[in-house]
Amino acid sequence: MQKNIIEVKKISKTYTGDVKAVKNVSFEVKEGEFFGFLGPNGAGKSTTMNMLVNLVKKTSGKILIDGIDLDENPDEIYKRVGFAMQEVGLDEVATAREMLQLHGRLYHMPKADIDEQIKKLLKLVELEKVADKFTSTYSGGMRRRFDLALSLIHKPKILFLDEPTQGLDPHARQLIWGHIKQLNKEGMTIFLTTHFMDEAENLCERIAIMDKGQIVTMGSPEQLKKKHHAKNLEEVFLKTTGSNLGNEEINKNAADPYTRARG
Amino acid sequence: MNTFFSDWFYLSIRNIKLIWRPLLALLPPFFMPIFFFAVNSLSLSSFAKVPGFPDVSYKDFIAPVAIFTAIFFSAGNAGIELVQDIQSGYFKKLIIMPINRLSIVLAKLTEIAVQSIGQGIIMLVLLLIWGVKIQAGFTGVLAIFGMLILFAMAWSCIGMISALRTQNARLVQSLFILVFPLLYLTTSQSPRELLPTTFATITDYNPVTYIIEGIRALILNGWGSSDITYGFLAAAGMFVVLVSLTLMSFKKALK
Repeated sequence: MQKNIIEVKKISKTYTGDVKAVKNVSFEVKEGEFFGFLGPNGAGKSTTMNMLVNLVKKTSGKILIDGIDLDENPDEIYKRVGFAMQEVGLDEVATAREMLQLHGRLYHMPKADIDEQIKKLLKLVELEKVADKFTSTYSGGMRRRFDLALSLIHKPKILFLDEPTQGLDPHARQLIWGHIKQLNKEGMTIFLTTHFMDEAENLCERIAIMDKGQIVTMGSPEQLKKKHHAKNLEEVFLKTTGSNLGNEEINKNAADPYTRARG
Repeated sequence: MNTFFSDWFYLSIRNIKLIWRPLLALLPPFFMPIFFFAVNSLSLSSFAKVPGFPDVSYKDFIAPVAIFTAIFFSAGNAGIELVQDIQSGYFKKLIIMPINRLSIVLAKLTEIAVQSIGQGIIMLVLLLIWGVKIQAGFTGVLAIFGMLILFAMAWSCIGMISALRTQNARLVQSLFILVFPLLYLTTSQSPRELLPTTFATITDYNPVTYIIEGIRALILNGWGSSDITYGFLAAAGMFVVLVSLTLMSFKKALK
């Protein structure tokens, strides 16, 4: 039986002003599983994902990644996880090869391993020909693919993907899907958030849907459709979640000095 | 190599590479100091004949200001670069790596130190071509660089603190206006003895006054003046206070 590689036990996040973004959320992800984490805007899924990689400090609860307690040894967890965020965050005047080399160094990998991994990753994301060009010259799809490669340089066991295909055309989306599927086939655990229901339905073995800071339903796409008497995942989503429009929480980490000043 | 030093080294290399690309972006910080130095040394040269002015040429007197201004402008960019890293998401990438957090700040300071050395050398060469003489010789040049580097790193911290607290490029950029009071409410243009009393009192409270006077002592008189010690103390004091505040802001930002 596969072991749990992610164990989340009753985690909560309360921001200043008693804003409860995540309330007592618990779930597990099996090693090698393709896990989808869905929810409307402001449901708390990005906060949850950020808590799993320690980008946002949880208020309470416990997170174990590969059996390691996040509170006790975050550095060991950083070695095990890769994170392709919504913000691609590339050095505009660095080449893909330079960035991969730098990240390999920062993960304290031996030079030979870095070189081998760079070769493999550039091939995987089909960017070999532009590896020595500045990333500022890349298209949106190329930037996403490169960011995916960057998050994989240290051979993580778990890959967190926060809306990896947002803003991409169908061709670029298919390409990214192919890469992610390949990684999962090779044994990597994937934790994905997306707003594309077809993406989640096609890729994920198990899905959790979050609303108003809580998980409202969880299971395989088939189980969810059966349980909620729905034709597809989109219908499950609409039945299980309410629209948060107008009631969304502000982003506490946003680059807004006035928001930050008020806490 | 110890991982702390290797993190610091590779992040410093990354930062230094980014400031040199494109190379042309390094030129604007030179324009204003060279322009003001040329205009002031030519148009105000007769000011050196005013009773009470030291027995030196006006261009030698204001030479420290030219070097200082170039450093002032470029070191101020550290905050903008940090905001760009935060807004682009790069900063998040760094903080979920198994690296020593201190190395992120130290790499930024190293970038500023290297940049200051490069810009200081260019400004110094230009001043020497212009006919400025440094009485303290080569060791004096090293001492000038010591003060400049400490100051540049301290000044860059103001931008970084602001970047970490506001994450807003416009606010960080607006700190540029602080350059003028810090640079001109000093003895940069005139000796203390010739300043009105109130103005002279204000310059006493501006640490930049002591750094400029320290550099000036090395250029005009060579070694031996207590101004050099005060210059170093002011630069080191600013460095310690502002780096400590930056580290506190950094720690807070990670919470």
